[in-house]
Amino acid sequence: MASSLPLLLLLALPSAAALLIPLLASASPARVRNLAALACAGQFVVGLLCWRLAPAELHLAWLPKLKLSLDLGLDGLSLPLVLLTALVSTMAILSAEADHARPRLFHCLLLATNIGVVGSFLSRNALLFLLAFELVLIPATLLVAIWGGKRKAGAAIRYLVYGSVSGLTLLGGVLALAWCNSNGVSFDYAELAKAQLSPSAQAWILALFLLAFGLKLPIVPLHGWQPFTYAEAPIPAVMLLSGVVSKLGAYGLLRFGVGFLPEVWAAWSPWIAAAGAVSAVYGALNAIAQSDIRRLMAYSSLGHMGLLVLSLAAATPLSLQGAVAQTLAHGMIVALLFACVGLIERKTGSSSIPELSGLLNPLRGLPFTMGMLLLALMAAAGIPGLVGFPAELIVFEGSWVVFPRATLICLISSGFTAVYAIRLFNRVGFGRLDNARADWASTRWSERAPAVVLTVLIVACGIWPQALTGWSERATSSLALRTFALPNPMVASQREGTAAVALATRTLPS
Amino acid sequence: MTPPAATVAEPLQVPLIPPSEHRWADVIHRLEAGGSMLPDTPENLKQIIGIYKAYAVPMDFYWRDLLYIAEKVFLNPLPAFKYFPSQAYLDRPNSYAGEQSQLRIWRGGEKAHPELLEFMAKGETRAMPKLLHHLWHDRINMEFAEACMQAMLWHQGMGGRFNDYLESEAYRANADRAIKAFFRGNPVMLGLYKLFPEMFMEQVKQMSYYANLGLFWEVMAPVFFEMSDIYDEGGFKGVPDAMDFLVNGIFAVAGRPIYHHVYVGEECIEVIPKTEGFTWLYEAALPYVEAVFYRTAPFRGTKSYNAQAYQVPDNQADFHYGILYADVFPVGSAGIPPTLLMQDMLHFLPPYLEEIYLQYKRGEEDQLIQLGITFQRSMYNVTSAVIQALRCALLYPLDDTDPEHLLANRQFFEAQMDRFVRPEARLGDVQTQDYR
Repeated sequence: MASSLPLLLLLALPSAAALLIPLLASASPARVRNLAALACAGQFVVGLLCWRLAPAELHLAWLPKLKLSLDLGLDGLSLPLVLLTALVSTMAILSAEADHARPRLFHCLLLATNIGVVGSFLSRNALLFLLAFELVLIPATLLVAIWGGKRKAGAAIRYLVYGSVSGLTLLGGVLALAWCNSNGVSFDYAELAKAQLSPSAQAWILALFLLAFGLKLPIVPLHGWQPFTYAEAPIPAVMLLSGVVSKLGAYGLLRFGVGFLPEVWAAWSPWIAAAGAVSAVYGALNAIAQSDIRRLMAYSSLGHMGLLVLSLAAATPLSLQGAVAQTLAHGMIVALLFACVGLIERKTGSSSIPELSGLLNPLRGLPFTMGMLLLALMAAAGIPGLVGFPAELIVFEGSWVVFPRATLICLISSGFTAVYAIRLFNRVGFGRLDNARADWASTRWSERAPAVVLTVLIVACGIWPQALTGWSERATSSLALRTFALPNPMVASQREGTAAVALATRTLPS
Repeated sequence: MTPPAATVAEPLQVPLIPPSEHRWADVIHRLEAGGSMLPDTPENLKQIIGIYKAYAVPMDFYWRDLLYIAEKVFLNPLPAFKYFPSQAYLDRPNSYAGEQSQLRIWRGGEKAHPELLEFMAKGETRAMPKLLHHLWHDRINMEFAEACMQAMLWHQGMGGRFNDYLESEAYRANADRAIKAFFRGNPVMLGLYKLFPEMFMEQVKQMSYYANLGLFWEVMAPVFFEMSDIYDEGGFKGVPDAMDFLVNGIFAVAGRPIYHHVYVGEECIEVIPKTEGFTWLYEAALPYVEAVFYRTAPFRGTKSYNAQAYQVPDNQADFHYGILYADVFPVGSAGIPPTLLMQDMLHFLPPYLEEIYLQYKRGEEDQLIQLGITFQRSMYNVTSAVIQALRCALLYPLDDTDPEHLLANRQFFEAQMDRFVRPEARLGDVQTQDYR
């Protein structure tokens, strides 16, 4: 009989480390870092075990009066995201400098962020999800505020304000979802999936969810916090924020929007797709204009989130698979991008594009790091053989039949990725390495290790895309709002090119 | 040759001429005091002497192979083995070193340097057939020497009468004789010569430059070896001493004949006979310095030659790609190798130089760049010696008391320094020890 112990372990491992680390007063910063990384690596291993042996759901009463219970479970949507979180957390922690200032607090906050994100993915209760979702805000804000760059205070406040609005609107949405349910008040996912809501209530609740999760992703025009935060936060925190925390927004839209409010989601989907397309173009064009690598990555991320939103809006079986694939692919790619940027910053002391050049120099540059950065940029641009290609291909293929115009716009914006990638690489990698500045040591293997692991995974998943989609095929099919029979070319021509789109009978996740 | 004593002039109580207002006034004042363009510091001295030694070993191969190509390979249409000089050339005694030399100036032996012979036998890998060493690039990179020769050939008229002579009827007649003798019994090549005589003439001119550079370096190799030996014995007290040794050496061999002989079997054809009176200083040393130090150093990958981007000057005299201007960093992208010479010198670094490199930047990882910059420093010292030698030959002594003479010297030095005003010049960089 399946046990629910692994679910508890997924949360207990980082929690135990977070509790133990403050007690290690005499431990060296490197040892603290290794302990934190070990906890997250253990979480990853447990996640893999859960894949092989599906754990039983856990239901523990907590505050019955508030209908809050500790309902945990894993399905095809949450398992890959839990694995992604564990992986990126491990790599983020290992990317921290060995002699980090105030290491115990730093790593505890990273672990707390991990716990919040994993808790959100494991939740089977909307109120529990909300609590875990909110938990992320505090450590992430502190990470920015304490260890951030020159403008850390502004970045932290901005992140806090946007995050608070996101949390409050989510609170409103979750409460409204539960209270407006004519079947009775419940926060249980299974109950919410069968909720009976008036059309106007559905519309208001979806609006709240779109705002809450749109801020988290983020998506245009809710992205105001992102470039500042990504530019100022310490690299491990940025890896977590961009690779994992932002995925909470995607997961929330899929679980709460597509899953719990399918009719209104389908009705609003053209606007959501349009927002995705706008984000994709806006992000890519802004990335081209940036003069700082971190900000460039931030806008690049914004653009890729646009593709994700498009695929969610389309809500076909293929596009939802694409959404999960894009979530995983982007999580790995953006984590690698920031890991490389972190190495560049650590060695050169700058992420300013005009200040850097010639880093590919084989003797005095950072050729290995630049090689990995190039690979990450290629993956982001959707070059075949790397993880970005299958993810974007599925997104475009799945969305094209529903929103061809928006898909076409996103396709073009995806092409812009190559523009800013080449521009960045041309300026930073090539050119003359300034002798006056090039006085830094080469990266050590211990420093490169996190990026190397991510690089290997990005190549491996590019060659074996099943690793992206295999997890969620069943779950996303059951969530799909639209089904398509791929048109026979003969029939298609008779239909004058119009796609056969039909709103299928809604099937809810079991 | 006896090492000179330190010759730094004592400061004058009352300057006879006002201070220079040139951008490189400090360097000019140093030159006027008998110094070098390179600041006189113990580390600079150690660096330049160390690199002279590392340079001299491959140079001992360069000059032998250059002469072998000029005299024996000559116009071989398939010179696949031109980098494999015959034993006779490897054993060829140096004309200015060793007991046998008619004009012994330097104390070293006449044979190829033992470190060179050891390297040629085993390379950095292990003993194996010559061809495998060659293909594996575990060898002396003769391409560097050829590129220096090509720089001289391409720039041509840079003083002396050598280049003019290559256009003379006498030279053409000698070259014609050499071509016909070399291809005797080869109707195909003789037929081609009849069809394309100018092409063959051009090739012979190139061979003459091979000989020119070979004879130039035949002198320089023992100079550098001796400087290294003197330093090891504690003989040099500062950079000016090393520069003066070069100046004295330049004058000692200034009249060495520059010629081009071709050997076909037992027959020797004098393409450029010694009787033409071409000398080492004016027909080889000065054109070499102009072509390689100032205009075009064969440091591929260190400078863009993109003519379409207007990066190549229209005026040949404006070329500034020499080692005195070179960005020693390999730029452009990964994959552009450090220069061939740097790789050659790396094999023969003295231990004290390696110790310096290990202390700075990336230590062993970027020794190629560090030694390239050292080479740049050392070439500023060699150029200083040439400038001082020219001043000595054309103008007035540094301790002259006539202000007009001193002003003439000043104008000469300022004119020389004008060439380093352009931003690419590394003169400013070598003034500090931080440039590594």
